Amino acid sequence: MRRRAVILLPLIVVLLIAANGVLRQRLADIIESFPTPRPAVPAGWPAPQYDFSSNPVTASGFELGRRLFHDPRLSRDGSISCASCHQQFAAFAHLDHRVSHGLNGANGTRNAPPLFNLAWQPELMWDGAIHDLELQPLAPLGNPVEMGEALEGVLPKLQSDAEYRRRFEAAFGPGEIDSRRMLLALTQFVGTLRSADSRYDRDELSAQEREGLALFRRHCASCHREPLFTDYSYRGNGLDADSADLGRSVVSGKAEDRGRFKVPSLRNVAVSAPYMHDGRFDTLAQVLRHYASGVQDSPALDPALRGGMALSAEQQQALVAFLESLTDEAFLQDERYSEPLP
Amino acid sequence: MKRAALLILAMLPGLAACGRAPELDAEIDISHVVGGEPLRLDEGHYRNAAGEEFTVGRLRYYLSLPRLRRADGSWFEPRYPAESVDAYHLVDEAKADSRRLRIGGVPAGEYVGIEFLLGVDDARNHGGAQTGALDPARGMFWTWKSGYIFLVLEGTSPESPAPGGRYSYHLGGGEPSLARRVYLPFGERSIRVEERVKPTVHLAVDVGALLSAVNPVRIAQLPEAMDPVAARPLADNAAAMFRVDHLHHEPRRRGGG
Ligand code: HEC
Ligand code: HEC
Repeated sequence: MRRRAVILLPLIVVLLIAANGVLRQRLADIIESFPTPRPAVPAGWPAPQYDFSSNPVTASGFELGRRLFHDPRLSRDGSISCASCHQQFAAFAHLDHRVSHGLNGANGTRNAPPLFNLAWQPELMWDGAIHDLELQPLAPLGNPVEMGEALEGVLPKLQSDAEYRRRFEAAFGPGEIDSRRMLLALTQFVGTLRSADSRYDRDELSAQEREGLALFRRHCASCHREPLFTDYSYRGNGLDADSADLGRSVVSGKAEDRGRFKVPSLRNVAVSAPYMHDGRFDTLAQVLRHYASGVQDSPALDPALRGGMALSAEQQQALVAFLESLTDEAFLQDERYSEPLP
Repeated sequence: MKRAALLILAMLPGLAACGRAPELDAEIDISHVVGGEPLRLDEGHYRNAAGEEFTVGRLRYYLSLPRLRRADGSWFEPRYPAESVDAYHLVDEAKADSRRLRIGGVPAGEYVGIEFLLGVDDARNHGGAQTGALDPARGMFWTWKSGYIFLVLEGTSPESPAPGGRYSYHLGGGEPSLARRVYLPFGERSIRVEERVKPTVHLAVDVGALLSAVNPVRIAQLPEAMDPVAARPLADNAAAMFRVDHLHHEPRRRGGG
């Protein structure tokens, strides 16, 4: 019976399509409007760091990754998914949460960063502790204050689920659901979250935003380098005289790296508040006030910021206006990235 | 095109049969000891050089990229396909079969020493998601800072100030890497790899040396070493854990490996 249905269904679809040109057009439209995001390099961008040739993106692999990303069963008690802390409307950051909330409401120590253009990042996390996008999910999965589930716990759940077994086979061919396949699928999803379509990219800036861009290039672009708005270096931007978070020094072992963090991209920054590694600022106006008059000296402080920046109130406003032009509405609403239907 | 492929396929068994040089191998057998005594997980009570009593609950480490040295100083290095993880072996005292490993495809001849890496080389340590012995699900992978844990030694000691009197040493990462190359000459003797004779190298691996060989460790002062900086003194001891206990040759079963 099942077998016959499997044979008949595509047959019926084919017949319907052949019979009805309008329907065919509609179907094509639908399929066309949801093409799987592919790793592509926008004009003028550098080459990405993650090499998709060893993990080619396919429709079924991407869909599987999208499902895993949104599935709370990946956490120990089934309450938290990746998407709980990485919300699409906040450019996949965690809106309103200074530091991430995980299992049983436990607090982490850092602000969940937005997720996009990850294929360009040489290293992941605020301190760059993770060197490969494929391995990143191991960190939240195993972290007791995030998802609290070890691989030994996650894999059996996936293996015992018929739907996942079907999807893993469609994506990777016959074989066991193992950690590698799970990580590759997640990477196909998070690695193709691409944001490159803001008004800045389309060159549709107002006069004030243009003024902000000029100021930005003078004061900020040495670290927040265009077009990705970061040079991926680790720097101190003067948040604290004595940083509570060890920052990059945990990875490098160098004392002067205490309180240095990865320069974050500023794309979609207007929707991904709060700001900084510990989420201390709620608004961009506060961030600009920090750069103008709140910079603290420390061995970690970048020389470019010593003594703060001379920015008038109008200049700060122009900079905020420019930062707001970096929001990519199409990305925030792209249905290919949203929670899949069950 | 297709037909040519079929032809070759059809010929393969024949080709393999007439060109078959028997696949020769050598074996490595590992026993763990503490000083002069055999290691017994959880049950054995031992003393380190500082006189501190301790037990061992867990001992696991990567033994990677083994190669054999010939008398003329050249090496036999097994070749593996790029994706393969066969050159990586996870030794776990709790799993008897993990204490035996096989080096396949060894050309017949005489070998005077063996070398391997204690840990994982940079290329694989900085690779992406992997399988087999290098599957992160094996529990030998750090997630706070990605990379493999090269060696785990855990247990208890009345001297440890940590909860439950536990001590935990996790060696991994580091710049330069905490992985250590270990070369063990066979000494007076050598091993012979022949069609009719299969050699086994018995290694005795001494946990006591890990705690004392170069940098004596006091559990009272160092109940935990879980990052590359804290674990470096232990890594410098680690190579001294290994010695060749004895060599052994036995007849190869005909027809088999
Ligand atoms: C409890 C909240 C939480 C959950 C759940 C969570 N994350 Fe995160 N994520 C964070 C935080 C916090 C950071 C930054 C950590 C750091 O820098 O130390 C982060 C960082 C990241 C990064 C690195 C981004 C960058 O720019 O460096 C990626 C990628 C990521 N998460 C993906 C995921 C995936 C995939 C999952 C699900 C398997 C997931 N996260 C689950 C909070 C969370
Ligand atoms: C010397 C390098 C440097 C310069 C110059 C610099 N920044 Fe930053 N910026 C950083 C670093 C590093 C961080 C992350 C600090 C942290 O979280 O501890 C950061 C964080 C930010 C954030 C928070 C982003 C987020 O997602 O949390 C904003 C917004 C920002 N910078 C805007 C600016 C603006 C506007 C300018 C120019 C007026 C500027 N920066 C100049 C290095 C720099």
